[in-house]
Amino acid sequence: MRVDVRALGACNRLAERGAEQAAGALASLTGTDLAVEVTGASVASGEDLAESFAGRESIGVSVGLRGGLEGEAVLAFDAAHADALLSLLPGGQGMERSAVTEVGNIALGGFLDGWANYLGKAIDMTPPQYFEADGAAVLPDGALAGDGVFLFESQLDATATDLDFSIYMLPDSGPFRDLIVGKSAPAAAPGAKGAGGAGATGAGVDDTATEANDGRATAIPYESLSTFASLAKQGSANAADNIGMMTGLETSVDVSRLRFVPLADVPAEVGTEPHAGTVFELQGEPSGYLAILFEEESAAQIAASMLPTEPDEPLGGMAENALCELGNVMTSGFIDGWANVLGTSISHSPPEFVHDIGASAMSPLVAKLSRRQDYGFIIDATIRTEGIQAQCDVYALPDERELAAALGRLSKS
Amino acid sequence: MTHRSVSRDHGSRIGADPRRIKVGVGELAVATDGETLTTSGLGSCVAVALVDTRTGVRGLLHAMLPTEDGRKRPTARAGKYVDSGIESLVAALRDAGADPERLRARVAGGAEMLDLTDAVGPRNVERVERCLDAAGVPIVASDVGKDVGRTVQFAADGRLAVRAADGFERTI
Repeated sequence: MRVDVRALGACNRLAERGAEQAAGALASLTGTDLAVEVTGASVASGEDLAESFAGRESIGVSVGLRGGLEGEAVLAFDAAHADALLSLLPGGQGMERSAVTEVGNIALGGFLDGWANYLGKAIDMTPPQYFEADGAAVLPDGALAGDGVFLFESQLDATATDLDFSIYMLPDSGPFRDLIVGKSAPAAAPGAKGAGGAGATGAGVDDTATEANDGRATAIPYESLSTFASLAKQGSANAADNIGMMTGLETSVDVSRLRFVPLADVPAEVGTEPHAGTVFELQGEPSGYLAILFEEESAAQIAASMLPTEPDEPLGGMAENALCELGNVMTSGFIDGWANVLGTSISHSPPEFVHDIGASAMSPLVAKLSRRQDYGFIIDATIRTEGIQAQCDVYALPDERELAAALGRLSKS
Repeated sequence: MTHRSVSRDHGSRIGADPRRIKVGVGELAVATDGETLTTSGLGSCVAVALVDTRTGVRGLLHAMLPTEDGRKRPTARAGKYVDSGIESLVAALRDAGADPERLRARVAGGAEMLDLTDAVGPRNVERVERCLDAAGVPIVASDVGKDVGRTVQFAADGRLAVRAADGFERTI
């Protein structure tokens, strides 16, 4: 099957709107402000999802979906914040199950309203089931079984209190397939109004669908997308190995995922903590940007581990040089595999050092790509070193159309 | 076009924390009831804060790019571009009871963060100045440019608190 990137954008927009409705419902119920930080569609294998959720404990509710959309949706929050949540809910601590179930039901109802409008068909929710889950067991049934699934995820962040919610939706592949491949097939049809066909009433959906008229370039074979997700994982492993070789520290990749997200949400995801690291421009097919960001303390520690003597300033000139050198080898490791598999040539610019609010460092990259696209594929990987506590995040932002074109050629060869 | 976080229904409230409305990248929001409007992680992006000096109705825009470059392409975020974002913000303020002729502007951000991204920050600031001038909205204060990220809070008194990544804070 071929995935129409424009249709995927429209679906993502629906998930985003739904999450906003859910946030509104939760805000009203709990009396706390909630904002949707990011909504994206992950392309991940069951194995990768299991790895990335390892160690988390969640409570929440799940509902089955029937009718316009089939599958399962889950509202979950971190079990560590359970007390904070329960103190805000009607009924409080003594009503754990029923309060969480009621809140989840209302929020998920809000989440699904927009999809039902867009589809012009009702979506029936089965009665909500309360759960307590370890690790990836929080995810909807079936998420861990597939070789590669689209999992919609929204993170809701409370502005005043320490409460973070997530909403996950895994649509069954059958009916959902009609959505993301675009019923208006061929997906390339210029000006195709969304993907849902009849009754496409979701406000603001067709803006995404008509965003690009060169639709042929935005239809990606699903298998190639899955291949690219594996490739990205390999790139992260290569980058981690290169850190290991340069620093002598044992490194591992904690999480590596390929997601489809609104580009404007990427800075918020990086966050407002100060970061240091390097940024590269990628040239070739695909072009784009790659940012390697460490939180300040991690940056200073990793730089110190590469220097023969303790630097005068933790993040001064010597540390900057060390981080640039490290960035160079990591970037090479990251993109080497892409070029081989895609059969293209990709080079990168010299490193540019950044030391600033994480979100601010990402903003010019996102702005530059946003001239041509509102949504993008982002590969984010978390690399951890043992021995010293240092962690870095790698964000790769390829040009959507060039990536789609390269992946399209891949499937034909 | 849509405004993602305009006039959010806050429901019942617990505690005495002042109400805050977060404005994300490419978004805009209006406050009519004393809420603090905040936006964080401004790098090359620019924040435009407008206040009606009589009614106190305020609005905040977090724009990414100067202009649509002639491509009249609908986008999901009303605040993506400086030009269309300012137009939408002024319209939203008017709808909320502000008089466009009484609006005053404060501007922050537009840093030149990276050499790689050809001066998008300064071009954002230049476009803000042109658009506000064309709309007849005077800029009363600004903290723009340099190579530093910023976070802003637009308070009920119409002043804009700007915190830079290097820890420097000022209210304009």
